[in-house]
Amino acid sequence: MDRRRIRVLLVEDEEIHRVVARAVLRAAGVEVEEAENGAEAVRRVRERVAGGGGAYDLILTDKQMPVMDGLEATRQIRAMVVATPIVAVSSDSLPPDVQAFITAGANDFTPKPLTKEKLGHILAKFGLA
Amino acid sequence: MEYANLRRQAASLKRSLFDQGYLDEQFCQVEDLQDEASPNFAEEVVSLFFKDSARLVANIEQAMEKYPGDFNRWDAHMQQLKGSCFSIGASKMSNECTSFRNSCAEENAEGCRRSFQKVKREHAILRQKLESYFQLLRQAGPARTATRSGGK
Repeated sequence: MDRRRIRVLLVEDEEIHRVVARAVLRAAGVEVEEAENGAEAVRRVRERVAGGGGAYDLILTDKQMPVMDGLEATRQIRAMVVATPIVAVSSDSLPPDVQAFITAGANDFTPKPLTKEKLGHILAKFGLA
Repeated sequence: MEYANLRRQAASLKRSLFDQGYLDEQFCQVEDLQDEASPNFAEEVVSLFFKDSARLVANIEQAMEKYPGDFNRWDAHMQQLKGSCFSIGASKMSNECTSFRNSCAEENAEGCRRSFQKVKREHAILRQKLESYFQLLRQAGPARTATRSGGK
């Protein structure tokens, strides 16, 4: 039986971080969709929920983004009663930054940049490996 | 063979970049993402970094000129540049970004100016060194697998 590919939503406004994270995710064999800000991420999640296409298996989100930041996007996704694991990937990694994400509803936090090792830990933690 | 010599030179240059603190492990992570589908991934990411960082440096320069004493604004711009440095492991440059941000936290305008000059200098040095590195790799061509002459 073919194992369905893991579907990840990568939420990141800076192109260089998207390029590197995308390569890390693809190297791990996951299917990647991208949103360049929190508002687009919320829209994509809502469309998946409404369209019956199945939720994302994992959402990786930056914090600072135009239009809507990662914290607000996390709050809005949780308000839709979406249980998808959300992991913040941000260079703002002081304890208050981490706690803000957890309070918003994120499941975990990892400092930028995303690496194969960090992704491996994330996938294992949420049973996606 | 010429390509072997060029590869040795590139490896030596890369080692020196690590030894002198210009790069950290993240650069190896980026190179490790290269594969047959993306054989020049590292060079592409580094090019993107320098395109991006040049823009961010210009933004900081403009912010310092147009908004004197607006340390929050200066810091926000530098935070972006620092994050960009992390993506390729540009550790010396990111350290100078941190010094700038520390000066912003202290509201030390002169400290910011000095740090910013160092950021620009490290940016220029790193660009020149990485350009040399990738030029050597391009001249060397793709890595060849050694074969025993006359063997299977």
